[in-house]
Amino acid sequence: MGTAPNISTQGLTRRFGDFTAVDGIDLRVSRGQFFGFLGPNGAGKSTTIKMLTGLLAPTSGRIEILGLDLTAHPIEVKRQIGVVPEGMALFGRLTGSEFLNFAGRMYGLDRETAAKRTAELLDFMQLADQPKKLVTDYSHGMQKKLAMAAAVIHGPKVLFLDEPFEGVDAIAAGTLKAMLQGMIARGATIFLTSHVLEIVERLCSHVAIIHQGRLVAHGSLEELRAGVEGQTPTGSGDGSGDGTIPSGEKMTLEQIFLHTVGGSRRTDQELSWLG
Amino acid sequence: MAGVKGMNEVILTVRRRTQLTAIAWLRWRLFVNTLRTTRGQLELLSRILVSLAFAILGLGGAFGMGVLAYVVLSQGKPQMLAVFLWIILLFWQAFPIMAAAFASSPDSSDLLRFPLSYGSYFLVRLAYGAFDPASAIGGLWSFGILVGVSIAKPALLPWALLVLMAFAAFNLLLMQMIFAWVERWLAQRRTREIMGVLFVLLMLSFQLIGPLTGHFGKRARPEVQRFVEVLAPAQGILPPGLAADAIVHGIYPQWPVALSSLALLFAFVMVIGYGLHVRLLAQYRGENLSEAVAASALAKDRQLRLGWNLPGFAAPVATVLEKEIRYLLRSGPMLLTLIMPIFMLLVFRFGAMNSARHSAGFLTRTPNLAFPVAAAYTLLMLTNLAYNSFGGDAGGIQFFYASPVSFREIVLAKNLTHAGILTVETLVAWIAVASLYGRPALDITTATLAGLLFAAPVNFAVGNLLSIYSPKKLDYSKFGRQRASQMTVLVSLALQFVVVGVGVSAFWMARYFGNSWIATLLLLVLAGISLSIYGIILNRVDRLALERRETLVAELSRT
Repeated sequence: MGTAPNISTQGLTRRFGDFTAVDGIDLRVSRGQFFGFLGPNGAGKSTTIKMLTGLLAPTSGRIEILGLDLTAHPIEVKRQIGVVPEGMALFGRLTGSEFLNFAGRMYGLDRETAAKRTAELLDFMQLADQPKKLVTDYSHGMQKKLAMAAAVIHGPKVLFLDEPFEGVDAIAAGTLKAMLQGMIARGATIFLTSHVLEIVERLCSHVAIIHQGRLVAHGSLEELRAGVEGQTPTGSGDGSGDGTIPSGEKMTLEQIFLHTVGGSRRTDQELSWLG
Repeated sequence: MAGVKGMNEVILTVRRRTQLTAIAWLRWRLFVNTLRTTRGQLELLSRILVSLAFAILGLGGAFGMGVLAYVVLSQGKPQMLAVFLWIILLFWQAFPIMAAAFASSPDSSDLLRFPLSYGSYFLVRLAYGAFDPASAIGGLWSFGILVGVSIAKPALLPWALLVLMAFAAFNLLLMQMIFAWVERWLAQRRTREIMGVLFVLLMLSFQLIGPLTGHFGKRARPEVQRFVEVLAPAQGILPPGLAADAIVHGIYPQWPVALSSLALLFAFVMVIGYGLHVRLLAQYRGENLSEAVAASALAKDRQLRLGWNLPGFAAPVATVLEKEIRYLLRSGPMLLTLIMPIFMLLVFRFGAMNSARHSAGFLTRTPNLAFPVAAAYTLLMLTNLAYNSFGGDAGGIQFFYASPVSFREIVLAKNLTHAGILTVETLVAWIAVASLYGRPALDITTATLAGLLFAAPVNFAVGNLLSIYSPKKLDYSKFGRQRASQMTVLVSLALQFVVVGVGVSAFWMARYFGNSWIATLLLLVLAGISLSIYGIILNRVDRLALERRETLVAELSRT
């Protein structure tokens, strides 16, 4: 691409006592990329996204967002990014409309614009039909949609999403995906973590895989596929358990992921007592 | 066939025993795991102290009950046993409600995901109740009565034991039944808030009983006496009266009457047990207590709503202030805390009208102190908010960290909210004092306001530090058991001691020199210093919040 990346880290490390959750990660995410950040449970995904959004201090390393050092210019960076963190960061005793209005104004929108975008987002997210309902009384999926709306109300250039589709129904997930793809088309950068590999495969152009705190793969899906296929023999199985790739078929992200993190499906010989 | 049936019963018994052992182990591990943190260790320390207090209350009360039971039986007044049993019943039922204060039971309904039989579930719920301090203390007091009765009339031991066991079973079941139904109502936010408000109003109304009975007692004595005369026989058909009656008629002995009283007592046990069974069975069968769906939007609700504007302040300050006010207006418990000072003025005033109680006339004898006392109490109540100002934000704290707004502005907005509340409450307190005790003198009013100008910034400054260093998640819709951390409590006590000490010293000096304006002057000088301290701390809030972000996020976002 040639331009400066919208997200870059150098030697990003985070330790909790003796435990190293994130170990010297170097990431580069360019403008307009839909970037999937994958890893098994406890690999360090949420810790990384928290550091990238200023919710957690790195033990060492450097983070640049939109060319700005996050440690030196936190407010300037935060003004241009949107975040849906793990816990969603909602204020339970506001209504959805009040919360979005609040979020808009906290991100520097004037009163009229905040109110207008609030109404538009509530309509878009199909949350407008219960205006007096408090956020605490929303279902998990509704809260997720509201958190997403709050993260985009100011039109961020970079969006960080930690498991955005968790608990969201298929209809809402479709709406959200359309919105995110629209943002990408208009030049935004999206950094997303998810356990649902099918979603990542369908949405993301680039992927990084973190395992035990270290970055073990990083690149476009084609690059990752080519890298894995170069190391793996072809075989007759489905490619999920025997370490081979089915001949003549394109590797799925799940196969790439399992190959990269060294995981394999357990056989039915184990836990034979299960019904 | 019989062999298979017998085998099944054995399996069921073994399974039930395994499950009950597992539940006991779960409780134990939950307790042990809390000790991993300093907070947990401090909690253990405070639990030990509280347990010591309970032990003294239980053993002391048991001894007292035993002696009293012995005395009334020895003096031929066994009917007086009913009074002691009523005391036990009221304590047994009222204490858990006050102590638990509408915090939901930790894990009893969570157990329903496991293949627990209804019998086991019922037993577990009873076991939870049996280990409650109220049950332990109530049980000890009942045991004290048993010992007293047995020493006075040794032959009555088996009968008294039977009666008192039935009485204890009644209390245990009643307590569990009340909690099970209260739990049902607390399962939904709206009913929980209504219950909470009713509960606090009930507790507050208790405060007025003394002054009101004292006030109206003289005039209404014949009516009160008649009321008591009617009430005395009526209590005889209720469990404490029945238990006392059964023991009394066991002494004479009039066994048919004694047996019928015991039978009626057992009937109460059965009825209450059935009430508990109905509730627990509904829980066991998996009732749906989800929040009701709100009504559809009306067209007028869909119009654009603009946020607040606060002239002279940045938009984020106005926005956070708006959010704080909305939170407060939706928090019945917090609003009630804030109106307490006005309520206490009423209590003191009614108390003062009761000439039989000299102590209650404190503010009437020194009406000049009414406004300073009310203002100080107002500030004290406000520390509930100011000392843990992020507590109500819970997971929202992450939003603050992710947003492009400095913590200085966020904290300033919160302090402005608190200052606004203080101003309004002080004004209301002044009006209340003027109505109840006469208009406060000008010099006292100005000295009090100067005192607030000194005390409020100091409290806000310390509150801001405590909010960052010792946060604790709060649910604004819940009552009780949401107290601040131990550190906050200790610092708060020390600070109030210093602030009140300075205030009293200023008033004392003014009195010593015979010029009350000296207090105003002194307190205004101190206000200048405290405002400077506030400013210094406010300017450091950003750095401190950033240093403490992990602790704040972890503590406030925990579920």
